[in-house]
Amino acid sequence: MKLLIADDEPSVRSLVHVTLEGDQHTILEASDGVEALAVARSEHPRIVLLDIMMPKLDGLAVCRALKSDPATSGTVVVMLTAQAQERDRDQGLAAGADDYFTKPFSPLALLNMVERVREARPGAGEPAPGPR
Amino acid sequence: MRRLRVQLTVLLAMLGLLVAAWGATIFLGARNAALLNASEQFEVGRFDELRRSAIDFEMKFVDAETNQRDFLLTGNRGARMRYALARRRADERLLRTGVLASTWPTLLLPLERVQTAYVKWAKAAEAEIGARDRYGPGAAAVVVSQGTSQNRFTELRVNHTALEKLLAGLQVAAARQQRSTYQDTQRLALYAAVMILATVTLIFVYLRRAVGAPADALRSASGRLAGGDLDTPVELPVPNELGAVAADLEVMRRRLAGRMDALQRLRDLSASVMGATSLQRLCSVALAGLGPEVGATRAALAAVDQRGQLQLRALAGFDDSDVTEILVKIDEEIRAALPLDDLRDGQVVGVTDVGDLASTAAEPVRELVARMGARSLALVPLVSRGSFVGLLGLFWSERHPLDQEQEALLGLAGNQIAGALAAALRYEEAERAAGEARAVFYAIADGVLLTDPAGRVTAMNRAMELLSGWTEAEVKGMPYAEVLPVEEEGSLPIPAEARPLARAIATGEPASDQGYGVDLVTRDGRKVPVAVSSAPILDPRGGVVGAVDVVRDVSREREIDEVKSALIATVSHELRTPLTLIHGFAELLVLRDMPVERQRAAAEEILEASRRLGRLIDDLLSVSRMESGRLVLNPRPLDLASVVERILSPFRAMAVRHAIRAEVASGLPVVWGDPDKVDQILTNLVGNAIKYSPGGGEVVVSVSVSVALPPELREAGLPDAAARAAGDWGGVEFVKVSVRDQGIGMSPREMGQLFEKFYRVDRDEVRRAGGTGLGLYITKRLVEMHGGRIWAESRLGAGSVFSFTLPSRDDLVGRGSR
Repeated sequence: MKLLIADDEPSVRSLVHVTLEGDQHTILEASDGVEALAVARSEHPRIVLLDIMMPKLDGLAVCRALKSDPATSGTVVVMLTAQAQERDRDQGLAAGADDYFTKPFSPLALLNMVERVREARPGAGEPAPGPR
Repeated sequence: MRRLRVQLTVLLAMLGLLVAAWGATIFLGARNAALLNASEQFEVGRFDELRRSAIDFEMKFVDAETNQRDFLLTGNRGARMRYALARRRADERLLRTGVLASTWPTLLLPLERVQTAYVKWAKAAEAEIGARDRYGPGAAAVVVSQGTSQNRFTELRVNHTALEKLLAGLQVAAARQQRSTYQDTQRLALYAAVMILATVTLIFVYLRRAVGAPADALRSASGRLAGGDLDTPVELPVPNELGAVAADLEVMRRRLAGRMDALQRLRDLSASVMGATSLQRLCSVALAGLGPEVGATRAALAAVDQRGQLQLRALAGFDDSDVTEILVKIDEEIRAALPLDDLRDGQVVGVTDVGDLASTAAEPVRELVARMGARSLALVPLVSRGSFVGLLGLFWSERHPLDQEQEALLGLAGNQIAGALAAALRYEEAERAAGEARAVFYAIADGVLLTDPAGRVTAMNRAMELLSGWTEAEVKGMPYAEVLPVEEEGSLPIPAEARPLARAIATGEPASDQGYGVDLVTRDGRKVPVAVSSAPILDPRGGVVGAVDVVRDVSREREIDEVKSALIATVSHELRTPLTLIHGFAELLVLRDMPVERQRAAAEEILEASRRLGRLIDDLLSVSRMESGRLVLNPRPLDLASVVERILSPFRAMAVRHAIRAEVASGLPVVWGDPDKVDQILTNLVGNAIKYSPGGGEVVVSVSVSVALPPELREAGLPDAAARAAGDWGGVEFVKVSVRDQGIGMSPREMGQLFEKFYRVDRDEVRRAGGTGLGLYITKRLVEMHGGRIWAESRLGAGSVFSFTLPSRDDLVGRGSR
């Protein structure tokens, strides 16, 4: 399964990478919003993990762009944010995100979420939001 | 004026005399009548006896004549004896009659005739008897036949009858006379009674004139006085005691009328003092009202101030400005000389000679008294509702002892003036409070607007004028909702009835719109975020008489709010990112079997993230300490050359890709600085230089004596800026430290907010390098706290130079730290 992690912090990308490696996942990386959108459109990852605070284009905008484009609207978008306020979460869900991880997040929870998405639809296609 | 008494005495005496005379008359008359009666009785008795005697006489001589005839005819001896007896008896009776009749002269002649006739008859009768005796019966017959004795007897009888008649007439006359005596007495009594009546009438008339009418007049006059008529004069021109009473009444009436006038004037005074709102006016009015009453020409008014101190507040009638000035100046000394205790008791104090009062007072008071030329003084305490509120002083140029009436008048007037003074003081206080309120109203930084209950603007303060763009004069009377239209977020106009002011007027309770994103639309169409609160203006009975709208421009607060949210977001982000790494890698280490090198990499990530977290917390604490002013420097003399060496050595060890060097000029002055903070400054700058030159290259730290100025001063175009700067800074030398790198550099736009809190250049390389956005902010604050300056020069892609200066003298440390 193809995953995209978009975060301007290399260490966070590295963490996600280390967490998911060895499960036959293809892990794509992007360090800003513009790059994340480009990669998501070209590579069609099943899951996109989006940091909200990113240079050039923030995660919310990327999420809205993905969800409004029929070609990418099926992507499971999971927001990763350091902002724990209700407002941020609401904004994220309003932008169409399927799930929401607050930093610091547990790698185990991330694995579970990925596993649920894979089980829900082994084939590519419909989004399967996991419960929080 | 004892005339009435004298007159009455005389009258009564006269009356007494008259009554006495009347009594005497009656008494004497009665006595007279009684006496007369007694003599008459006596006379009647005698008269009766006389008449009886006369009648007896007649009977005897008739008896004698009868017996004589008998004898003559018969020669009867018995007859002759009887004759003789009768003759003797007749003689006796005649004699007796003569005696008895002697008191009535009118009887004398007839009686004499009777006596003569008797004697003649007796002679004739004797002769006949003798004839018979001697000549016998014949002779006697002859003699008788001659008729001599017969004739003589007839004559006697005639005379006797005449006497009888006379006697009878006399008796009638006597009775008549007796009656006439009674009548006289009656008449006398009647006359006396008439006279007494006349006198009494006279006395009555007199009394009526002299006492009754004046008494009535007095009665009606006193009735008028009692009834309150003081205008009609009491006139009674009678020269007696009643007249005197009337005169007294008139005096009384005049005094009462005077009092009434005074009362009226007092009322006028009261009315005019009540209208006086300023103390100066009150003083003038009091002098104008009281001056003519008591003759005073000047007045001074003092009032008890809020500290309870009597303070001279106004003067009237003082033309001499010098005196006025002195009075005001030596208020304190004057106060000391006043009999304040008496005055506080509400007593009017008259000072006939001001000199006496001043003699014990302080020198300036004596001088003032001498200068003022006032001789007498009255101090009128002003006591309102039992409390001493002030003092009115009245001055006379001439000596003027205060009489009781004036004292009473001044006391009364004092009460009136006290009320007015208390009112004036309250008014003054209210004015002051209103002035304060006005000042507060106009000075207050929030926009304040007042309306009437209908919501029409009555006042608006300066802040509101600035905020709304309207002026107070323009908006008076306008509905406030037109002056201050407000919108909710999303440009929805808020209806007037939903606004706090309308709610406050409707409910009588304060109301506010805060934190709901309310925008005020100004006159020129700008939108200003505002917080609005309103309160009703209530009268003492709780009725709404208006409302106040307070509008605060919260744009700055909004900004601060946004900055604060951004700060929290940033700090949260900066804290959570390393925490995420620590948590994540630690969890992986625990849950996953990983090759050793992987484990090591994870541990390094954790270590780095922990360091980052530590730095962040240090930085945040530093900022907090600096901003709250708790960061204190402990300056010491520092040798910068060795400091730089010490700082650079760990960097040299770690940064293998960088050539780090120090260029230290010789002959550097000793600088003053807090060693820890100078370390921090240098560490930050060198750390940045390494961090932002990821490709490596040279990092040069140069230390030199500074005569050069920061670029902004240089750019000011001063020709000899360096020398001038040296002079401006008092010739104090600075040491300049520059850190130069060959890193990514910055564009001018990126440099704009370089030294501001949480500013991060929004670029990947910068992001990648990590950081809190606090380092340069802290560095700048630390440099400035030392009295130095910091600046940067850079070009995008061509590296940067960060320079700062430190002073060489300790007294400059701290200068320009804020």
